[in-house]
Amino acid sequence: MIRPEVTLADPWHFPEPTITRLPSGLTVWRFDLPGQHIATFEVVVPAPLTAEPRGKEGVATVALHAIDEGTVSHPDGAIGELLEGHGATLHGSARHHYSTLGGQAPVRHLHDVLDLFVEVLREPAYADTDIAHQVEAQVASYESRLASPGAAARLALRRVLHGSGHRDGRPASGVPGTIAGITAPDASRWHGSFFRPDGATLLIAGDLPDSDVTAPFHAWGAGLRSSAEPVSLAPAQPPRVVVVDRPTAVQATVLAGVRSVGRSDPRWPALRLAGQAVAGAFASRLNLELRERLGYTYGIGGGFAPGPEASLFTVGGSVRTEVAADSVARILDGLRLADGFVQAEIDDARRYLVGVAPLANETSADIVAQASALAAAALRPDFMNRHFADLLTVTADDATDAFRTEVTPERTAVVVAGRADAVVPALEGLGLRPEVLDLRA
Amino acid sequence: MSEAALHYPLTRAVLDNGLELVVAPDDGAPGVAVNLWVTVGSADETPGRTGFAHLFEHLMFQGSANVASGEHMATIEALGGTVNATTSSDRTNFFETVPRGALELALWLEADRFSSLAITPENFEAQRQVVKEEKRQRYDNQPYGDLLELLMGQHFPTDHPYGHLTIGSMADLDAASLDDVAGFFASWYRPANLRLVVCGPVDVDEGLALADRHLGRLDALPGGRRAVVPAPKPVGPTVATVTRDVPHSLAYLSWRTPPAAHVEQPAIDLALAILADGHTSRLHRALVRRGGLANEVHRVNLTHRSTSSVAALLGRPVDGVALPRLAEAILEELGRFAGDGPTAEELSRAQAQYEREWLWDLATTSGRADAINESWLIHGSPDHVNLHLAEVLSLTAADVAAAARRWLDPSAVQQLHYVAEATR
Repeated sequence: MIRPEVTLADPWHFPEPTITRLPSGLTVWRFDLPGQHIATFEVVVPAPLTAEPRGKEGVATVALHAIDEGTVSHPDGAIGELLEGHGATLHGSARHHYSTLGGQAPVRHLHDVLDLFVEVLREPAYADTDIAHQVEAQVASYESRLASPGAAARLALRRVLHGSGHRDGRPASGVPGTIAGITAPDASRWHGSFFRPDGATLLIAGDLPDSDVTAPFHAWGAGLRSSAEPVSLAPAQPPRVVVVDRPTAVQATVLAGVRSVGRSDPRWPALRLAGQAVAGAFASRLNLELRERLGYTYGIGGGFAPGPEASLFTVGGSVRTEVAADSVARILDGLRLADGFVQAEIDDARRYLVGVAPLANETSADIVAQASALAAAALRPDFMNRHFADLLTVTADDATDAFRTEVTPERTAVVVAGRADAVVPALEGLGLRPEVLDLRA
Repeated sequence: MSEAALHYPLTRAVLDNGLELVVAPDDGAPGVAVNLWVTVGSADETPGRTGFAHLFEHLMFQGSANVASGEHMATIEALGGTVNATTSSDRTNFFETVPRGALELALWLEADRFSSLAITPENFEAQRQVVKEEKRQRYDNQPYGDLLELLMGQHFPTDHPYGHLTIGSMADLDAASLDDVAGFFASWYRPANLRLVVCGPVDVDEGLALADRHLGRLDALPGGRRAVVPAPKPVGPTVATVTRDVPHSLAYLSWRTPPAAHVEQPAIDLALAILADGHTSRLHRALVRRGGLANEVHRVNLTHRSTSSVAALLGRPVDGVALPRLAEAILEELGRFAGDGPTAEELSRAQAQYEREWLWDLATTSGRADAINESWLIHGSPDHVNLHLAEVLSLTAADVAAAARRWLDPSAVQQLHYVAEATR
């Protein structure tokens, strides 16, 4: 039977929010999404972790994760019971340049839940025992990351790309030595300084009631100014090749990366398409080579991930130890882009990135996650639609040129988490100069 | 609880070759989900022939009469769709969500591979290597990578259909011939073993017609049927202790519970949630917040289609607390819970959380298509997807207490003490 023809619809549009600004300085993006019976809400605050005391790095994460253990009005777990009783869940994340706190709830409970959410924002109790418990959990989580090859490789790449002298090069949630000394007053101080409506954005999406969902937020912190300082980016680092020694590993986990430009750069659309074609798609150049042709790995993945100011290009996967060096060589060689992209590669990448957008933005949580990233980057919500339009104009040559100027093997840092006794000599055989990196040092 | 009954419209049909399908129209959906369940999983494998069901999850992307190796996935991605496959002990799931105008192509791609899969020595060998890397990446090279196998081993002997990991034994895959794996495909990948759910902006008549035009041309050959799965022999309570190079010690307490479709499964699920889900749960309050015995507690419910399921409570002890002491404390709390049952507030919180999670599972087109197939295979009716929530929300404290007493009996517990080397 003949292969059916496909008709593709017009590009999808990111929903347009209603934007308001409360007297407190809180900006609100409200997305009305019919049929989304679970609402998602999130507050984005500018809270760069460079403001954490050096000896107490991780305090932003402690303060966020312990925030719903108790409030002054509902202490000792009572606030959590109330939220759960309304079917709500909260989650927060302290990233290097900003923090988020939000949650989800059935729309029919939304008013009650938002009242409780504002209570959490306004008056977290931070009991000593709750902070001690969170400190323990955070240290345990760090140990778990070191024990996981993928997470250890990501920690190492962060350090190599940003340098351990800059906050961006160190883990957002701290290390055991800095987490251990964090106290309840530290958490309160952090929260009081940075969780303020001025300069913050509230994102709320779902099949929302007609009423004013922002009403509870009028009670949050009017008159408080944000104390956030401007973000400083880490200076560029020389590219290194490092091995995180895992003497009993039965695979080598490879991760290569380069810091690159952010969404505002005119080459951003071309880079997104190039990253998809090199490492993002199943049919990407590197996945076809290392998985489908050579059977070295379960899969290679990567691409350009945007942050608020800049982006990170990464590519990696887990491979057999004996082919780790060959995999690194093939990845670096692939990044050289000796053969520029052909039109079909870029067309496929474009149709994927444009076409998958409605699927990737189906739920209230998807919309809020995307909107949150835009708000943190000080971009308007219509950025996405301009970006989709820009993707349509990129040529194969544009993608080739942009990729070649931003990513070269010589500028790429490489991390291999695996058996150093096997991997180091093999990498040296390629003419690289691998260093063994002790993540605990 | 009046909002608990859901009303997703479903139309069920059978093609002439025996393939069954459901069309679930949703005009607001951003794409069409094509979700195929093949009613074969690792529990249908025989000793010495494990890993075959999962191998086909891979081979199905390696090409067929009119589709080149890797082309299925590349084609869907290049249309802006999402595509993948998964395998469990009970089924193999192939799925894609595509733009509306690509629905017919998706069905054509499915029909091509189900009717003419390229089971060649080259494809077999390449995917055998990829599967070995998958096993290393997911299990052998991960901390706690053998935990699931140890846990299931306490309930099922290795020669039981549910007694091996879905990914199978690499020795079995090495020993398998091309004829062995081709035979597996021939006996299971038949229309009678396929359930198709099409969910999205498509009307019923068109969905049925397109499915019939493409999947209707699969030959109506008889398919394999799951053999009767023997109940695993009863075992008394045991304590297995292993020591591994992991960051933290864990205590797993587990029980055999009834199959997934059993009427008491939802009550067991709520009991586990009330005991160990989140910071307001019983065990968290008693052992973490107040007792100083545990740093965290969790619950796991691994349900099976054709035999006993396994439910587990687990805890990570505070430094200096031995695993047996923590296990004993968990059992004490469990005994108290089974005796008194949950409070009204505990039950209502657990039900409210269940409601959000269930609605969330159905919030995406692809998630809903998969939930429909699961309802169909496990409960015998796709429409169970509309009824399940009401069933959970109608449970009483007495139901939950009774389920805990019957199925989470402290005197029948299997304990797995997973000890971190450094803390020996």
